[in-house]
Amino acid sequence: MLVLTRKVGEGIRIGDDITITVVEMKGGGIRLGIVAPPTVKIHRQEVYDRILEENKEATQWIIADLDSLSDSLPMLKEVK
Amino acid sequence: MKVINTRFGQVEYDPAKTLHFPTGMIGFENLREFIVMPNIKRGPLFWIQSVEDPEIAFVLTDPTNFFVDYRVAPDDNEKEKLGMKDGDDCHALVVVTVNSGSDFTFNLLAPILYAPGPNRAIQVVLEHSNYSTKMPLPKV
Repeated sequence: MLVLTRKVGEGIRIGDDITITVVEMKGGGIRLGIVAPPTVKIHRQEVYDRILEENKEATQWIIADLDSLSDSLPMLKEVK
Repeated sequence: MKVINTRFGQVEYDPAKTLHFPTGMIGFENLREFIVMPNIKRGPLFWIQSVEDPEIAFVLTDPTNFFVDYRVAPDDNEKEKLGMKDGDDCHALVVVTVNSGSDFTFNLLAPILYAPGPNRAIQVVLEHSNYSTKMPLPKV
């Protein structure tokens, strides 16, 4: 991992079109400003981690539970 | 036709007709090809089985079965990943986490965009949304 020291107002540039600036340091938190093209998705790490964990959990099902669940769910419309 | 041994038994599939995930699912980026398995039971749930890892299968559903207002549309970058052409259809699916005892939740924060034309799908993370990865069935 590349580790850099930056002061408030300083930033880093990633590639041709992403800029991250340290905006403010306050109460143990650091506010970052990010400029990136709209096609680049930016997410808090914990959001991404939560989805990763949820996906892992979602692979752990068994067919008996799916069967009993399917029996209990109302069929609202036809499955595509 | 090819056959794989999954944890649900042998599955025969046509390699030309697998559902392609060009970037995989989040946390499973290396798994690109899935077989769409019809649920033998009637109902809104079905599942997709990884071709590359027989242990991995996800239960999916059309979220509008349960959340009538739920809408997700692909942006231009996502359309490109999906290989969509003008006029191609795309709709959202969500992963259902099925636990024992009829306990289940929907991952509305990270839906799957599915384009039937190119038969491709990608999992996306919704920005600025209040949806959770563990949304319970809405109470009627």
